[in-house]
Amino acid sequence: MFGVGVSRLSRMISPQSRQLLLRLVSGDHEALGEFYDLYAGLVNGLALRILRDASDAEDVVQEVFVQAWRQASRFDASRGTPEAWLCTMARTRALDKLRRKVSRREEPEEVAPGPTATPGSAEAIAVRMALDELSADQRRALELAYYDGLTQTEIAARLGEALGTVKTRIRTAMIQLREVLGPLSS
Amino acid sequence: MSEERFLELAPLAALGALDGEDQKAFDEALRSSMPCRAELAAFELVAARLPLALEPVAPPSSLREHVIAAVAPPGHGRPEAPSRSWLFSLLAAAMALIMGLGYLVVRRDRDVARREAAGARSGLEALGRELTEANVALSALRQDLARERAVGELVAQPDSRLARLTGLPAAPKASARIVWNPGSRRAILFVRGLDAAPAGKAYEVWVIAQAAPVPAGVFQVGADGSAVFTLPVVEETARAKTFAVTLEPAAGTMAPTGPMVLAGAAGGS
Repeated sequence: MFGVGVSRLSRMISPQSRQLLLRLVSGDHEALGEFYDLYAGLVNGLALRILRDASDAEDVVQEVFVQAWRQASRFDASRGTPEAWLCTMARTRALDKLRRKVSRREEPEEVAPGPTATPGSAEAIAVRMALDELSADQRRALELAYYDGLTQTEIAARLGEALGTVKTRIRTAMIQLREVLGPLSS
Repeated sequence: MSEERFLELAPLAALGALDGEDQKAFDEALRSSMPCRAELAAFELVAARLPLALEPVAPPSSLREHVIAAVAPPGHGRPEAPSRSWLFSLLAAAMALIMGLGYLVVRRDRDVARREAAGARSGLEALGRELTEANVALSALRQDLARERAVGELVAQPDSRLARLTGLPAAPKASARIVWNPGSRRAILFVRGLDAAPAGKAYEVWVIAQAAPVPAGVFQVGADGSAVFTLPVVEETARAKTFAVTLEPAAGTMAPTGPMVLAGAAGGS
């Protein structure tokens, strides 16, 4: 069951985003402002969720948009959307920062999952609904992996569960999300 | 690593959650397999969409200016402007380069066009050949279809009968069936296991109602020793008692002269 129709993705990017990316590549500073206006909230929300510190999150936002400016020509529309591209950069940078902090300090405090937000785009609603279909255990394991950057062994230790159980839980959750979400929905 | 094991690990790898032996084995598999990379990419895209479910949080408005300032330090626009003293020679060099490139591009385009025209011609010829072959195949299919229909109609008639012909010592491995209808006098012969007739020869069918056999057409067998042959309508078929096949001159004869290879009772009433 290899292959997920990745080539279909490139058609899913809005003309507006495509245009913006082209202008970024051409060195248009105004385009960076517009790009920032579109996605800064998303990137900041993700950085905050990982770092739980507004100032650290702002650092990540700035780094991510500077990186996007420099690497816009490397963006590959066949491999995902600008949102996914930005989120991947933001997560990597935020987790790096988190690990440096953790090595200096104690474990980050647990935060209870906040109330369900009302995300704007159809894509966001689709992802939220797909996550709602998972069990609470599956969501918890996914969050520890994605937002806390823990490995399977660390997650098992954190949850006090067998490693095999945790692996299966994450795997089935990801497979279910992939099936439900499919290639980008809108 | 087996594909199955890889598929087990890919969802975890996409989250960066692998460690230990799993991580090592996965990294090795990834280096050697394109399908594995595609599978990982699909799960990475799922992972990258997770934060879309988060509530966006607008950063402070001052951050926007910082970001833009960070990519465009004052006095360092992008791309950097060359100084005036260099401008003229730079322009001249650029003109020369553009003209040279232009010539190369034109020449390359011409060669490409020639190659494409030649390719198109040979493509057309190939298409023509394929069309001819397709027409031949189509007419063969039409013949097959017409025969299938004829067989179907003949078999469907309630008064049609089946005769079995057995191979005689001249063709011990041969066997045949004839579906025939005494009312319409139509009959179709199905032969198997018969050797191809020697050069200048053919197999001839005989319908025997009373004493003298009546000729009912000649046929050849295919390379696989089989044939399906629609007999001409002959009056004797209405009262057929026996069917037989002999080896005869290719044009056929009015009375059997060669060895008999198949024979069988008509099975009629």
